[in-house]
Amino acid sequence: MSAPRTAPTLLGSAARILDLSLGQMLWSRRSIFLGLLLGGPVLLAIALRVVDTLYRSGFQINGARAGGAAIFGMMIWLLYIRFIVPVLGVFYGTSLIADEVDDKTITYLFTRPIPRSAVLLGKYLAYVVCTTLLVLPSVMLVFFLVVSTGGGSVAAAFPSLLRDFAMLAIGLAAYGAVFALVGTRIKRPLIVGLVFAFGWEPAVLLFPGYLKRLTVAYYMQALVTHEMPQDSAVSLLMQVFREVPSVATSLLALAVITGVTLWLAGRAVEHKEYVLEQ
Amino acid sequence: MMTRTRYFVVASLLVLGVGVGTGLVAYYVGFPAGAFTRGDGPDELRYIPRDAMVVAYADVADVMASEVRQKLHKAIPFQENGQREFQNQTGINIETDIDHLVACLNPDPSTNNKPGVGMVIARGRFDEVKIEALMREHGAHVEDYKGKRLVVSDVGDHPTSFALSFMEPGLVAVGNTNLVRTAVDLHQGGDNPQSGLASVTRNEELMTIVKSLETGNVWAVGRFDALASRAKLPQGFAERLPAITWFSVSGHVNGGLRGVIRAEARDEEAANNLRDVVRGFMALGKLQAGSNPQVQLMLQSLELGGKDKTVALSFVVPAEVFDAVTTMIPKHLPEKPQIEKQPGH
Repeated sequence: MSAPRTAPTLLGSAARILDLSLGQMLWSRRSIFLGLLLGGPVLLAIALRVVDTLYRSGFQINGARAGGAAIFGMMIWLLYIRFIVPVLGVFYGTSLIADEVDDKTITYLFTRPIPRSAVLLGKYLAYVVCTTLLVLPSVMLVFFLVVSTGGGSVAAAFPSLLRDFAMLAIGLAAYGAVFALVGTRIKRPLIVGLVFAFGWEPAVLLFPGYLKRLTVAYYMQALVTHEMPQDSAVSLLMQVFREVPSVATSLLALAVITGVTLWLAGRAVEHKEYVLEQ
Repeated sequence: MMTRTRYFVVASLLVLGVGVGTGLVAYYVGFPAGAFTRGDGPDELRYIPRDAMVVAYADVADVMASEVRQKLHKAIPFQENGQREFQNQTGINIETDIDHLVACLNPDPSTNNKPGVGMVIARGRFDEVKIEALMREHGAHVEDYKGKRLVVSDVGDHPTSFALSFMEPGLVAVGNTNLVRTAVDLHQGGDNPQSGLASVTRNEELMTIVKSLETGNVWAVGRFDALASRAKLPQGFAERLPAITWFSVSGHVNGGLRGVIRAEARDEEAANNLRDVVRGFMALGKLQAGSNPQVQLMLQSLELGGKDKTVALSFVVPAEVFDAVTTMIPKHLPEKPQIEKQPGH
């Protein structure tokens, strides 16, 4: 006589889904896009390195030689914080459940004897692992290629790299959770996600007021140790109206955003009736 | 988990692990100089301590091969003997063995009575055994410093005043023992400002000037005010010195000598005063030049420039001047008397 089967726990189920989804996420067509997205900064860093090696004057900004740490800081701001992290959040976060619905494979997952929210949680964790394991090595390569140019010191800049790692991982987690909620609740999540990441967030950050507190970028920017680049009028405005919450406030706010949106997304998955189009 | 997914995770974690490990080593221990960087100026600047008051560079190979040097070499025959003697004593043929050298003058923390302590770092081909044997013959002893042999010569009351170390094949540091030790530290550990070990390449002001001097095959740059304060100048004279912070001299030796002397004044007013003084000297020089065409040619090449706080005087010493100098030197100079070797000195 066999022992009665016990229902798997939420975390145990999520771990099984994570195992299953990580491979799917990594070796999908989206990975090509991800590779291009993260290979770009590395290629740019190689080009900067070559310029620095070939030309004595190195890489110059406004006629003055730019230090490696300053260039790295600029790349973190312009490429990773303002573009790569939100884009990854939008593309992967919104598709966690939506892809299964589109492929009509959601039924297979929901008919398993596991909580529905475990599917979302497992997929979300797979997203966090996948993007973190891709973004952080990319940043690492950029750091070593760029920081030592223009007389920069790896030793001096290293503590800021560790802070960047933490900030990017937290940012990916927060954006992923927000867009996971969008993906489970809204019909066309990708468009809404893009509008939120590249319309709403940059817009409200430009103006004074409390609306910027309804963004992820506001709290993420407080964790950045690099100087904000003043590359355009928009950046200049952002600098002028920049209110920086304390690190503790930002960490707490990002944790709350991640927890609440993930919980809401889990509830949506538990209660929503997914009708598969024939 | 699929095998390729597992490989990806392992590879990614490996990249992160290696990177973080390397960064931690750099942060706590420092990197061997040049591990990731190639800054401005000669690479040997990485071994010069940051507090250098004067840094100088000479591309010895280039200068030795120059027309000016060839002309002077022919005109001054006794040099050959001196050069041979130097080669016998040290195993170094200046003409062919040294490629380039970097020298520095740093403040001596133990005393204010000296302008500073110096060190020369030369790159070339050296007979290490012969040089060490010669120094030991003259009373030096060998110390081990972080795995490097340090040949220390005790001079006078200063027990560690002069040392030599081959930091790597073809790279020798000679000079004040403390400076040579710091050069070895910088060579092995690289810049590590956290531990208080930093090279002159961290001195942004100085490196900006070095960058502007790189067209010359000989140059020097220094902190004028620091030098003047340690030089024990007479009271009245020190007060009359122009308010200069940095000075630099750059020259290119080939057929002739082309160079620029540059001074960074404390403010624009001081720079204007300095320009007036230089103009006065230039006028005086032109008056004194008389009918000597070579000197007239040289004085005509003088050009006073610079803007804001910078005063620059460029000059050209044409090949004709060196021709004139060589004709003035008697063909058969008496040989220098040979100094008899005394053991222990």
